[in-house]
Amino acid sequence: MVEKAIGEVILDIKNISLRFGGVKALTDISFNVREHEVRAIIGPNGAGKSSMLNCINGVYAPQEGSITFRGKTFGHMNSRQVAEMGVARTFQNLALFKGMNVIDNLMSGRNLKMKTNIFQQALYWGAAQREETAHREFVEKIIDFLEIQAYRKTPVGRLPYGLQKRVDLGRALAMEPQVLLLDEPMAGMNVEEKQDMCRFVLDVNEEFGTTIVLIEHDMGVVMDISDRVVVLDYGKKIGDGTPDEVRANPDVISAYLGTSH
Amino acid sequence: MGPFLETLIGGLMSGMLYSLVALGFVLIFKASGVFNFAQGAMVLFAALAMARFSEWLPALLGTESKVLGNVLAFIAAMALMIVVAWLIEHLVLGRLVNQEGITLLMATLGITYFLDGFGQTLFGSEIYKIDIGLPKDPMFLMEDVFQGGLLVNKEDLYAAGIAAALVIGLSAFFQYTSTGRALRAVADDHQAAQSIGIPLSRIWVIVWSVAGFVALVAGVIWGSKLGVQFSLSLVALKALPVVILGGLTSVPGAIIGGLIIGVGEKLSEVFIGPMFGGGIEIWFGYVLVLFVLLIRPQGLFGEKIIDRV
Repeated sequence: MVEKAIGEVILDIKNISLRFGGVKALTDISFNVREHEVRAIIGPNGAGKSSMLNCINGVYAPQEGSITFRGKTFGHMNSRQVAEMGVARTFQNLALFKGMNVIDNLMSGRNLKMKTNIFQQALYWGAAQREETAHREFVEKIIDFLEIQAYRKTPVGRLPYGLQKRVDLGRALAMEPQVLLLDEPMAGMNVEEKQDMCRFVLDVNEEFGTTIVLIEHDMGVVMDISDRVVVLDYGKKIGDGTPDEVRANPDVISAYLGTSH
Repeated sequence: MGPFLETLIGGLMSGMLYSLVALGFVLIFKASGVFNFAQGAMVLFAALAMARFSEWLPALLGTESKVLGNVLAFIAAMALMIVVAWLIEHLVLGRLVNQEGITLLMATLGITYFLDGFGQTLFGSEIYKIDIGLPKDPMFLMEDVFQGGLLVNKEDLYAAGIAAALVIGLSAFFQYTSTGRALRAVADDHQAAQSIGIPLSRIWVIVWSVAGFVALVAGVIWGSKLGVQFSLSLVALKALPVVILGGLTSVPGAIIGGLIIGVGEKLSEVFIGPMFGGGIEIWFGYVLVLFVLLIRPQGLFGEKIIDRV
């Protein structure tokens, strides 16, 4: 295994504040993500982790602050524009296309890479057919990588939860993203499924060099696989650093364990 | 046996046309969750456009060829339907994203009245003809099996063929092309679709255009059978029980529902009708749907909604 080289800052989040009416979901959050690293966002329930991810992903528009991706700063972007820039995501509560089979779900992740227009596709001839074949080959690689060969044609709604999570990851990978946002990829899984998922996340990071930002509740997992960790509590940042630094941070300890009075 | 089969075939043919209109409903409902009340108005609008363009365009270009005239008129009418789809998305529905279903339904009701009125302002409110050269003469089938054979209207046969081809073509488009996949993706989950870079508003324009295309084909077939007039807008009322019967989200449901209603209407009119003094064709579909809903509230093929408590 080659030692991965953590590169320059790829994603820079500055002074993000997000409010829903009177509720402050995020207050003045700043942190950055370097290329090729695994960056975790942790915190107790309701700390604002998913809100943070949704800001990066363009689902929410923060009232203040800026997000800079590869030197380009944006205040307000929708999910599609973010996807076009090379950011993919998975969802905490699965958001797969339930009526479709595994292949179609993954193929839909290739949609931005497809260049033929609707009329060529309607005739399904020449360029459209070649394109479909080429993308199908790529999707097959993902299927092999995630070890879901046996479920190719199964409608995802019928797959067990752990496998659906894998398909969700696969769909994001099909976009060949530069940054992958994972919202609790291991939530609700048993130990074995968690180990599998960890392995996939690390493999993606090492083999494809994809930068990974993940939210996770399982502390063991987070400390094992992350390069750096951000800790949020009540919408504020209370810690930032390597897993060891974070573990030693008194604010983090009190947020998780409570303080003695 | 002969009259029964004749009625059955007649029912299947008209059922195919109901399916076409119902298909327009289902396409839009699946992709955007909007129950498009304007589907009938779109059929009328498209048929009016087709009828008038096939008069105007040949005159404008000075061509005598009827085929060329019809082809040009069809293309022009389709282009117009795409413009309508674009306008509906950008002026109406695009501004109502995330609103309640009932709001969207009311919006399409508004679109219905607008299209009905605007279509007649633009194209006139007479009765117009669409002549795409479907043969009008009847033919007899299986004359050696039954005495006198089966009387089948050739025009109906062609119409059913066109409708079947359209349904198969659309299904293939949805199943095998990347745009079709994107449409299904949007239908399943808006947010996830956006996260993988599918542009919602473009998809909605495409869906409404496809629904416009279906409306145009339905309008041309009905129009060439019965003439283009305001009552065409009311085929939507015929298609309503079809969509409910088949399930709002199911394309095969729309087709099979259409056939069931078509056949049911004709058979009941002929065999049960006399008991009630006839005329039951008009309401038979609704009664049928009522019974189906008592047993399967989601329709024959609709998704069963299971809420977690």
